[in-house]
Amino acid sequence: MSNEVENTHIEETAVETHEEVVDTHGASTGDESVAASLGLNGQLFAFQLLNFAIVAVIIWFLILKPLTKTLEERKKLIDESLDKAKEVDSNLQMAEIKFQERIDDAKSEASKVISKVQEEGVELTEKMKEKAQKEIELVVDQAKRNIKIEKEEMMTELREETANLVVAAVEKILEEKLDDKKDAELIKGTISKLGK
Amino acid sequence: MAGEIHIPTLAPEVVTQIGNINITNTMINAWLAIIIFLILGIAVKRSVKLRPGKLQNTCEFFLESVLGYFDQVTGSRKKTIKFLPVVGSIFFFVLLSNWLGLLPGTGSITNGHTMVLRPANTDLNLTVAMALVSVIASHIYAFAAVGIFTHLGKFVQIKNLILSFKKGPIAVFSAVIEFGVGLIEIVSEIAKVLSLSLRLFGNVFAGEVLISVISALIAAFVPTPFMLLELLVGLIQAAVFAMLTIVYMTVASSAPHGAEEH
Repeated sequence: MSNEVENTHIEETAVETHEEVVDTHGASTGDESVAASLGLNGQLFAFQLLNFAIVAVIIWFLILKPLTKTLEERKKLIDESLDKAKEVDSNLQMAEIKFQERIDDAKSEASKVISKVQEEGVELTEKMKEKAQKEIELVVDQAKRNIKIEKEEMMTELREETANLVVAAVEKILEEKLDDKKDAELIKGTISKLGK
Repeated sequence: MAGEIHIPTLAPEVVTQIGNINITNTMINAWLAIIIFLILGIAVKRSVKLRPGKLQNTCEFFLESVLGYFDQVTGSRKKTIKFLPVVGSIFFFVLLSNWLGLLPGTGSITNGHTMVLRPANTDLNLTVAMALVSVIASHIYAFAAVGIFTHLGKFVQIKNLILSFKKGPIAVFSAVIEFGVGLIEIVSEIAKVLSLSLRLFGNVFAGEVLISVISALIAAFVPTPFMLLELLVGLIQAAVFAMLTIVYMTVASSAPHGAEEH
């Protein structure tokens, strides 16, 4: 029962308010009443259109435009930074490749120098060996010659000494039995034997 | 248990008059949205820089999220930015207006028997205004994109009809059909305005009535789930209005090549 009363009250309130609005807008007959019942009104429409236009201007010029512009600038900045980073990266890679190439060149150059030096070293060693050999041979020849000369000198001295000794010994033994002539013959004979 | 139930009328209620101008409760709500956007806009405009602060970061988050959805319709960010002045304004204004209707005071602060605050989109004048802006803007973008005569040719296909007489009866038949389709396209443009405006109005108005009745029956706790639902409805309706607008703009600004979607 109380619900019925409440519902009736609701309907009455709605109808009253509706009538109030219709009266306020001054639209009460024919097709206009349909538009008026929905609240459509030329003046209100114009004001709401103006309100929306103001909102659109505020939202676009104060909020959306600055934000989209900033977003675009930031995107551009990030893109540029990424491009630069890529460029730096590619430059670094190129530099590394060049560095590696130079290192390889230097290594091959160094190995060439080392092998050349080794070859020269071997050659020099050979030369030095030959030179030393020659010098040794020269020294040995010289020594042999010296020894031969000394040997000959010694032999000569020895012969002379021996002859003198023989003469002295024979003189002592045969002092008075031999004359000068025999003496000389004896000496010659002895020397010739010694020479053999 | 329940007090007097004040069900909102279809028409917005006049709170006061300035001269001959009626100031309605929906207009007050719209002005409230304008003031909030103005304050936010000035704050954003002043603080905007490449290294964003908290406010700019938050705004950019919402904007980037919305732009992502718009990009899916337009297919390119460039087109989205081109349509953004209209579509972005519609989306954020509808969203804020809907959510402002959930603030305490809406429906409860009264001047005599009249509610001082009421969601702006429960006023058909505003939704029709936005729908008209949406549809007219789509045609302006179309004129700029494909040319005035090419775009008008989508609706009034007289040229094909005249040329078809030289090609024979089958060509005349198809040209007549195309002419009829063009006329239907004109009707569909009017239907766009009606559907956009009535959908938003109907959904927001229904939500307002629902919350008013529930709040009048049981004031505490019970309306909360419905208010949360209205929060979602407000977002969905803003998204639907904005997405349909951007669809209309994208379709209208593409070159004619047969059937169009609506």
